[in-house]
This record gives sequence, C-alpha cells and structure tokens, in this order.
Amino acid sequence: MAAEGHDHLPASAEVLFELGWFKFTNSTLMMLIVAVFLIVVAQLATKKVTLVPSRLQNAVEWILESLIDFMSGVLGESLAKRTFWFFGTLFIMILFSNWMGLIPGVGTIGFSNVTPDGNPYPGDTFTPLLRGANADLNMTSAMAIAFALLWFYWAITETSVKEFFAHIFAPKGKFQGVMLVGMIVVFLFVGLIEVASIAFRPVALMFRLYGNIYAGENMLESIMNIVPIDALKWLAALPFYFLELLVGLIQALVFTLLCAVFLRLICEHEHDDEHAH
Amino acid sequence: MTVSAFILAATDATTEVANQGPVEKIVDKFGLHWSLFISQLVAFLIVCFLLKKFAYGPVMEMLEQRKQRIEDGEAKLLEIEKQLEESEAQKAALLEKANIDAKRMITEARDSVTALSEQKAQEAVAQAQTILNKAQEAARAERAAMAAELKQEFGRLVVATTSQVVGKELNAADQKRINDEAVSSLS
Repeated sequence: MAAEGHDHLPASAEVLFELGWFKFTNSTLMMLIVAVFLIVVAQLATKKVTLVPSRLQNAVEWILESLIDFMSGVLGESLAKRTFWFFGTLFIMILFSNWMGLIPGVGTIGFSNVTPDGNPYPGDTFTPLLRGANADLNMTSAMAIAFALLWFYWAITETSVKEFFAHIFAPKGKFQGVMLVGMIVVFLFVGLIEVASIAFRPVALMFRLYGNIYAGENMLESIMNIVPIDALKWLAALPFYFLELLVGLIQALVFTLLCAVFLRLICEHEHDDEHAH
Repeated sequence: MTVSAFILAATDATTEVANQGPVEKIVDKFGLHWSLFISQLVAFLIVCFLLKKFAYGPVMEMLEQRKQRIEDGEAKLLEIEKQLEESEAQKAALLEKANIDAKRMITEARDSVTALSEQKAQEAVAQAQTILNKAQEAARAERAAMAAELKQEFGRLVVATTSQVVGKELNAADQKRINDEAVSSLS
C-alpha cells in the first residue's frame, strides 16, 4: 500500500469494486466519508440544543447563520429560507469534500495494480483508495443537475409557468404596433439564446468545479513527484496546500453563489425589474 | 492473460474511443457513468435531507428562539428604561413637592413663632403694666394711709402741745376743733 508506480492522476475516478451495473469508486468512498463526517458533526452539535450553546453548537450555528445571511443577501430572506437546505448543503459538502481531499493519505494510500499473473498492470500501476470527491465529474454533475432540476422547480413555483416563459421570451419594455411585432421576433431569438445559456450553465458549473479540484490534486502530485527524496516530497507541496485550502473555499463559494445568482435572476419578476430601475 | 493481451485490449479500447462522437469521448474520458452519477446524486440528496433534519432544522429553530428572546429582552429593557424614567420623574416631582411643602411649613412655623413671640411679648408687656399699675396703686394707697396717719399724729401732737401750752386738759370738743384746724392747715 504505497504511492509507488502512481505515474499520473487519471481524469476519472478509479473503480474499487463493481456489483453488477453498480460501480463503487474511490471518489464515491471519499464522498461517503465526507457525508458521514458532516452528519455525525451535525448530530453531535444538535444532540442537545441549548440557548447557551456548547462550543460545537456555537461553531455550527456560526457557519449556518453566516451562510443564511449570505444567501439572504443574494436571494432575499424568503427564498433563502426556502432553499437553504439545498444551498447550505451544497456549500458545506463542496467545502469539506475539497478540504478533506487535502488530508495526507488521500490519493497516496491505495493498492498496486497487477495482472492476474503478478506483473505490473500496463498504464497506471497504482489505484488510490481515496480521491477528492469533487475531482470526479460524476459528483460535480450530480450536484449541478440536482441544482438545474430544482432551479426550474423553484423558478416556476416562485412565479408561474407563464411568467417563467415570459421572463425568457417576452419583450422587456413597453412597445406598440410594428415595434411590438419586431420586438417579439427579437426577444424570441434572445429567448432561444437564453435557453442555450440556461442549458449550458449546469455544464459550466460541473466542469468548473471538477477542473479546479482535479487540477489542484494533479498539481500537488506533480510537485511532489519533482522531489527525488521520498521523505521530503511533502515539503515541496506544503505551500501549495495553503493555496488549495483557499481554492477549496473559493470554489465552494463560486459554485454556491453562481447557483444562487442563477436562481435569483430567473425568479426576478417584471415588477421587481421596474422597482430596481 | 499476459501483458501483451492487456496491451491488445488497451489498443482495442483506443480504437473504440477514436470512433466515438465528442460527447461519448467526454463521457469516456471523464468516467461519467449512470450508476455513479445516480449514486452520487442520491447520496447528495440524502445528505441534504439528513442535514436539514439534524442540523438546519434545530439550529434555525434555536437561532429563531434566541432572536425572539433577544427581541423580547430588548423590548423589556426599553420598558424598564421607560419605567425608570417615569419613576425618576415621579421621584423628582415628589421631591419637588416635598421641598415646597417643607419650605411652606418652615415659613409657616417661622410666621407662627414670630406671631407667638409677639403675642407673648404683648402679654408680658400687658402683665408688666398691670403689675406696675397695681404697684403704683398700692404705693398710692400706702402713701394715702401714711398721710392720713401722719395727719392724725400731727393733730394729736398739736392737741397735746396746745394742752401743755395752755396748761389744762382740753375737752373733746376743743381737741376735735384744734385737730381739724391742724389737719386742714396741712392739706
């Protein structure tokens, strides 16, 4: 169980075992560890909720209160409260997945790939037991697609089906006669562009997060591989760990903030615009 | 299986990838798989549900309770401050009233003392006057008595002297006449 022979970090997560159609990868294992950690912390913090909080309760309260205040600033208090279960989990899940992916051992503890006759497997000869959960496109796409579905649901329930489509296709402003007909055509075209933009947003979200985290892990591994002495590999990567801590936080913020902004934009009513102007 | 068999398999896989479209290539390159996607999605939604149940719900409720308590406390504090201000004003008013009453009482007492002392002085003066009058009266009566006694003594001496001068015992009528003459000469 060592990192020897781990020549590169593959773009996809490595399968640890398969049960029929179900595949279990090292990033799935990491994601489950993060999930269990978060649930245990949540349970411990809220086991005995008191008005004068314990240290853990206080820390959890601080995180959640800061998050809901932040989300309220973007979405407004009502929508923030309604959607906090998703956005709160999104931020916390991404943040802790990113940070826990930096724990020594993740990506370096695993097993060697050998052929049934005991020879080294051609290609990557090492499979790590754990891999950063967000360095797997399946995880980032799961979060992005979940957001996309909820996005439409919240947009329609916050406004109406008619308003939802009007927001995308209807002309903005007051026009009459020939001008109105012209604007309907223009805004129909703009609406189609908007539909394409909406369709690509979850894709951009999933690839942005995946790309940043995968690149970070790759960079750490490459930096460590530069140093020839095994005992000193960590020293070269140390400054980059601080950078990756920051990247982990920023990416969690970016993903959550973009989702919130997309929702805010699509939930904006016509009269909100008028008030804003 | 030998190493060459693995290489052959890998070569086949490479050829297969070359025949794929761009989406299939991306899916294959990044290891996107339905089972993995669905398992990650389900796991993420389970975490959402559990965190909502165990963390967000109780914590938000507690934050709301605390906020409510703070608001109640603030409201009570304002009420207490208002009551304090009222009681301060009431105290000040009472003190003011007590001060005015005390001043009034002192003034009244002073006036009363002045009036009483004046009255007492007047009474004393009146009493002294009475005593003086009585003393004058007594002195006058005593003087009159002494004068009457002196007159009688003078008359008796004049009668005795006359009796000795004339060398005979004077009768009562002569004694009375001489006495009256002597007394009338004194008035």
